[in-house]
Amino acid sequence: MTNAQYADILQKVASLLQAHAPRPVPIHEDTELINDLGFDSLRVMEMMNDVEDAFDITYPLNALSDLKTVRDFVLQIQDIIRNS
Amino acid sequence: MGLLDKLNAVAATRQALLPPGVDPFNVVFDELYTSTEASLGGRRVILAGTNNYLGLTFDPQCIEAARATLIREGTGTTGSRMANGTFAGHRDLEKEMAEFYGCSNAIVFSTGFVTNLGVISTLAGPGDVIVLDADSHASIYDACKMSGAEMIRFRHNNLEDLEKKLQRLGSRAEQTLIIVEGIYSMLGDCAPLAEIAALKKKYGGWLLVDEAHSMGVLGAKGRGMAEAAGVEADIDFIVGTFSKSLGSIGGYCVSNHKELDLVRYISRSYVFTASPSPATIASVREALKVINARPELRARLWENATQLYEGLGQLGYELGPDLSPIVAVRMPSREKTLLAWKELLDRGVYVNLVFPPAAPAGMSLLRCSVSAAHTPDQIERIIGIFAEIMPLITAGE
Repeated sequence: MTNAQYADILQKVASLLQAHAPRPVPIHEDTELINDLGFDSLRVMEMMNDVEDAFDITYPLNALSDLKTVRDFVLQIQDIIRNS
Repeated sequence: MGLLDKLNAVAATRQALLPPGVDPFNVVFDELYTSTEASLGGRRVILAGTNNYLGLTFDPQCIEAARATLIREGTGTTGSRMANGTFAGHRDLEKEMAEFYGCSNAIVFSTGFVTNLGVISTLAGPGDVIVLDADSHASIYDACKMSGAEMIRFRHNNLEDLEKKLQRLGSRAEQTLIIVEGIYSMLGDCAPLAEIAALKKKYGGWLLVDEAHSMGVLGAKGRGMAEAAGVEADIDFIVGTFSKSLGSIGGYCVSNHKELDLVRYISRSYVFTASPSPATIASVREALKVINARPELRARLWENATQLYEGLGQLGYELGPDLSPIVAVRMPSREKTLLAWKELLDRGVYVNLVFPPAAPAGMSLLRCSVSAAHTPDQIERIIGIFAEIMPLITAGE
């Protein structure tokens, strides 16, 4: 996975997060989904539907427990794309 | 953060959400008069939120069977069947549940919740995959987590999303446990089970159906959604509860896979939990006889459900998508839901108040459940009180 691909995923993820986040704060790689963006479990699930559609992937629920920052999220999606 | 700080955070949320003196999540009934009426705060209320679908909690036959067994066998088993042994009633109930479903195997658990914990977390393990409907009950989610299997959620009742997810699994689909419910507990909507069973056959895997809210409710014999959809042969495992249509407490799993019997040696929620009391088992066995002998109860239940669903629909309330004994009324906001719930109670009707995440898709609901034991007059009274409170709900909307 190249930096360019990482950047593409980041850009798409940031836009999806903006669309679902209860707090419209600027999004960068260290932004935390719960503490900064105010996501709760329900909003995370709704956002995941869009993420799965956008990248044509299946995101396993187990991966949520390792998800804290936007960077974590992008790396997880990279990993799922690589293994699919 | 101290150990108890998270509980204090719950107290703060509760305080912000609920007006003083109102706690829909901690209702105390002073006295039960019948399966459809109770005293609450000194007021007689119609019970329209108890999942007592066939009204069997006060069935004289079930009460007598429980009473006689209580006298004969005592108040409890004081331990698990693995440690303390199986009572004849446990064994006989398992045989009768298997016969009821036409299956070779059945296991009885102490509650519906621990049935899901025990069965799902034993069937699936690390390296396996579970594909579950997004609106699955909390016990299913918890069981999946306990299993250590990879958890994949598909959008509620969305066959396209389910197929996409099975397709992406490739050969792993064969090691996949698909989990759905017959009737979903919050909105009362039904699973498209025939189509789901067809997808399971197409991609491989195993299908488990939770019939907690559909057993006794659907199907010519009351076996649930799988029977109603004509796909019982395609279902690998059916789980359910004794605490709804059967009017007692406990849970079960039935299957034609003989390996189900081994679950009882592995499942922690079977091995390490006290088994159902003799009186409980006796009342369930009797309720099963009632279900077999009195199909008119199911017909009565559906007449009542139709009366309430159509009555509330005609008033303009937004309801769940399918007619079923669960009639979910969608409210415009949490505040209005609370207000309406309190008004209904003050005027003599008890329903369930449901906020997200217990309710799906961020909805706030007044959830009614209908019983065969409700009289048409009681249903009419419920509709009438919903009509009275309508202006309070629509004000300012």
